[in-house]
Amino acid sequence: MTDDGPDSSSRKPGLAAIALFGVLAAVVLGSASGFSDPATGFPAGESIIHNIGYALFDIDLGEIPSEGFLAAFLIIAIALDVALDSAVYLAKQEDEGTIVSALTDGGQDIVDGDVAATDETDETNRGGDR
Amino acid sequence: MVTAFDYVPAIVLLPFVSFVVALFLGKYLPKKGAYGGIAATAGSLLLSIWVLLAVRSGSAHQETYWTWAEGVGAQPFTLEFGALIDPLSALMLVIVTLIATLVHVFSLGYMNDEGERDLPRYYAGLGLFTASMLGFVIADNLLMAFMFFELVGLCSFLLIGFHFRQEGPPSAAKKAFLVTRFGDYFFLVGVVAVFATFGTAAFSGAESFPALAESAINGTTEGINTFGFEPTTWFTIVGLLVLGGVIGKSAQFPLHTWLPDAMEGPTPVSALIHAATMVAAGVYLVARMYGFYVLTPTTMGIIALVGGFTALFAATMGIVKEELKQVLAYSTISQYGYMMLALGSGGYVAAVFHLTTHAFFKALLFLGAGSVIIAMHHNENMWDMGGLKNKMPVTYWTFLAGSLALAGIFPFAGFWSKDEILYEALIHAGSEPLLFAGYAMGLLAVPVTAFYTFRMVFLTFHGNARSEIARNPEPVRWNVKGPLSVLGVLAAVTGVINMVPVQKVLGLEGIDYLHRWLDNEWGGIEGLSSHHYAEIGPYSSTYPFGTEVATVLAGAAISLALALVGLGLAWKLYNVAEPVEHTAKLGGAKELLYNNYYQDEFQVWLANRTRGVSGNADTFDQGVVDGVVNGVSSVSLVSGDRIKRIQTGVVGNYALLLTLSLTALLVAFAILGGWF
Amino acid sequence: MVPPEYYLLLSSGLFCIGLFGILTRRNALYFLMSVELMLNAANINLVAFSFYWGNLTGQTFALFAIALAAAEVAVGIGIILALYRNFGDVDVMQAATMRW
Repeated sequence: MTDDGPDSSSRKPGLAAIALFGVLAAVVLGSASGFSDPATGFPAGESIIHNIGYALFDIDLGEIPSEGFLAAFLIIAIALDVALDSAVYLAKQEDEGTIVSALTDGGQDIVDGDVAATDETDETNRGGDR
Repeated sequence: MVTAFDYVPAIVLLPFVSFVVALFLGKYLPKKGAYGGIAATAGSLLLSIWVLLAVRSGSAHQETYWTWAEGVGAQPFTLEFGALIDPLSALMLVIVTLIATLVHVFSLGYMNDEGERDLPRYYAGLGLFTASMLGFVIADNLLMAFMFFELVGLCSFLLIGFHFRQEGPPSAAKKAFLVTRFGDYFFLVGVVAVFATFGTAAFSGAESFPALAESAINGTTEGINTFGFEPTTWFTIVGLLVLGGVIGKSAQFPLHTWLPDAMEGPTPVSALIHAATMVAAGVYLVARMYGFYVLTPTTMGIIALVGGFTALFAATMGIVKEELKQVLAYSTISQYGYMMLALGSGGYVAAVFHLTTHAFFKALLFLGAGSVIIAMHHNENMWDMGGLKNKMPVTYWTFLAGSLALAGIFPFAGFWSKDEILYEALIHAGSEPLLFAGYAMGLLAVPVTAFYTFRMVFLTFHGNARSEIARNPEPVRWNVKGPLSVLGVLAAVTGVINMVPVQKVLGLEGIDYLHRWLDNEWGGIEGLSSHHYAEIGPYSSTYPFGTEVATVLAGAAISLALALVGLGLAWKLYNVAEPVEHTAKLGGAKELLYNNYYQDEFQVWLANRTRGVSGNADTFDQGVVDGVVNGVSSVSLVSGDRIKRIQTGVVGNYALLLTLSLTALLVAFAILGGWF
Repeated sequence: MVPPEYYLLLSSGLFCIGLFGILTRRNALYFLMSVELMLNAANINLVAFSFYWGNLTGQTFALFAIALAAAEVAVGIGIILALYRNFGDVDVMQAATMRW
C-alpha cells in the first residue's frame, strides 16, 4: 500500500489547484454585485421534503415550482444497478480469468475452474434449459 | 411530348456506357466488348439521325443540363454543361457516330479476327473516344468544349499507345499527347481569356461571346473587359490563343509532327482519329465559334495562310513515303489544311462540306489500308505490295473511290468540296490579298495530292506482286468489306449534298442542300447561320474571270486539270508492271522530304535550347513545390512525435494539464469579458 | 440571508481542495475521496441557487448527483481493485501503460 506521506508525492502540482481557486475567487467576487438581493427563497411553511418527493414522481401537488423527474429517476435507478453489477464484475475478476465469487449464485454448485472451458468440453451440458 | 432532343445526352452516354462495360466486363463478353460498342454507337447513330431529322423539320435546341459551378460577386460566371443542337452539330453528330459504328464493325475484322490481346482495353478506348468526341460536338460553351477536347486527346493517347509492349507506339502516343498539349495550353489560356473578357463562354444566344464580341466591334463595349486593348486587337489575341489548340489538334503546321507518328496505333483507330474524332475536333471548333473568328480579319488571314501552307507542305512530304499509312497521314494533314484555308477565307460552308466528305473518304482509305494490312500480314511497305487489285476486288474498288475523292477527281465527293474551298478563296482574294497566297498554295497542293494518292494506289494494287505475301494475301471477311462498301458509296456520292457549281452554271435552284442547311433554312439558332457569318465577315466577293459562272467554271477546270496532271504523272511513273523508285530525280529535295523537312529534328533542337528554362522549372518543382509538400509532412511528423509525449499515461499529469488549461481559459475569458 | 457569492466561494474552495488532493496524492483511494469533494462542490452550487431562484429543480438535481456519485464510487472501487490486482499497488502514478 502506498505510503502517502509528505515525501512520497510532490506537493508542487497542488499549486495549480490553488491558482485555480484564486482565479475562481476573483471572478466570483468581481461579479458579486451582479446578484440581486435578497434571493427569492422558498415560501414559508412549505415542506421542502414533500415538494422534492412530488417533483421526483411528477405529482403536481407541490407549491414550490419544479420540473418533473420521473424519467430521470428511472434512468438513475438503472444506472445504479449497472454500476453495482459492474463493480461486482470488476471485483470478481481474478488473475487467470476464473471466477471466485464472493456472492451466492442461487444455490448451484460453484463451477470450479474456467467456466467457458467447462462448457466447451462437456457435451451433455450443451444447450437446453438448465 | 418526347422529342429527339430529349435523347441528346443519350447520344453521348451510350458510347460511354459501352466504355464502362468493355472496361469492367469486357473479358467475359463474346468478342470482348465489340458487340456492345457496335450496339452503342449504332444506337447513337440512330439517335443522331433522329436529331438531324428534327433539325430538318425546323427546330433547334439549346439546353443547359448542369450548372456545376456558380460564381459570386458583381459579374458571376456560371460553368455549365449543356447541349447545343443546330444544323452544324447535328450534321457532325451523324458523321461521328456513323464513322464510329463502321470503325467498330471493322475492328471485329482487324482486331478480333487477328487475335490481338487486350481487346477489352481497346474497345473501352474506342467507346470513350467516341463519347468524348460526341460530348465535344454537342458542347454549348467553350469550357465544356475544352474539357471534352482534352478527353479526346487523352483517348488518342491511350489508343495510339495501344500496343504499349512494343517500342514505337508508347513513344508515338507520348509525342501526340505532348504536342497537342502544347497547343491546348494556348487554348486553355484562351478559354480563361474569353471568360475574363465576356464573362461567358456560351456559343449561342444574345449573351454568347461571339454576339458580345460583335456588338463590341460595333461600339457597345459594355460589360466587356478588353484589358485596355482595342476590341479588334484583343479579339485577335484571344482568337489566336484558342487557335493554338486547333493547330495542335488538327495537326496544322508547325504542330503537325505528332500525326504521322500516330500511325503506330491500330489502323481502325487511325481511321477514327483522322476522319471523325481527334483531328476533326480542331476544325470543328473553329466552325463552332466561327462568329467570333470572322470579326477579326487578321485571325482569318492567319488561319487561311496556315491552312494553305499546311495543305501544300504536308502534300509534298506525302510523295516520298513508302508506307501506306504514312501517305494517308500526310494526306490528312494536307486535307485539314484545306479546311483551315476554307475557314480562313470565309468559306464556312465549304469547310464543313470538306469536313463531311473528308470524313467519309479518309475513313474509307484508312479502313481500306487496314484491309490491305490484314492481307499483307501487317507489312505496310508499299514496295512489298503490288498486284492486289485482282485478289481484293472489294478493297480495290472502294479504295479507288476514296482515292479519286481524295485527289479531287470529278464527280467524286472530294472534287466538289475541294473545288468549293478553292473557289471561296479565289473570290475572296480580291478583298484580302493574303488569301491569294493561300489560294495559290492550295492550288499547288492539288496535283501533288493527286500524284501521291495514285502513286499509293498504283504501288499497292497495280503491277506485279513484289513479295510472296502479296501473291497470296490473307482473305478478309464481311466485317471488313461491309464498312468499306458503305464508305465507298458515300465517298462517291456525298458531293450531291452541295453541288454549288452545277447550280450556278445550270441555274438550277435549291440543290445546294448544305448551304441551305447551314443557313438555317430549315431550322437553326439565330446568329449561327452561314448567312450571318458572311454578313459580319471581312470579305467581299470579286470575280477575276468576269462573271460568276465563268469564275466557277474556270476554278473547277483549273483544279480538275491540275489533279489530272498529278494523276497522269503517277500513272506514267508507277502504273507499270515493275515500278521503280523515282525519288532520286528529286535531287537534294529527296533527303529533305524523306526527313519531313527536318521538322522533328527542329523541334528536338528547340526543346534542347529550352533545356535551361525547363531545368529551372524542374528545380523549382523539385525544390520549392516538393519541398513545401515534404516540409509540411515532416513538420507534422516531428511535431506529432513531440506532442504525443504529453500523453504520459500518468493520470496526475492529465489532471494537471486539465487544471492549468481550465485556469488559462478562465483567465482569458475573464480578461476578454471584463469579469474582474 | 447569506449572499450567493459566499456559496460560490465555498463551492470553489471545496472544488479546489478536491483538485489539490487529486494533483498531489498518489493513492487511488484518496483520489476517489477527492473526486467526491469536487462533486459535492457542484452540489453546493445546485442547492444554493435552487434557494436563490426559489425553484426546487436544483435541490432535486443535487439528489441525483449524489446517487450518481454512489454509482461512480462503486465503479471506482472496482477499478481500484483491478488496479491493485494488475499492479500490486494502488498507486495511480504506476499505472502508466496507457500512453503513446
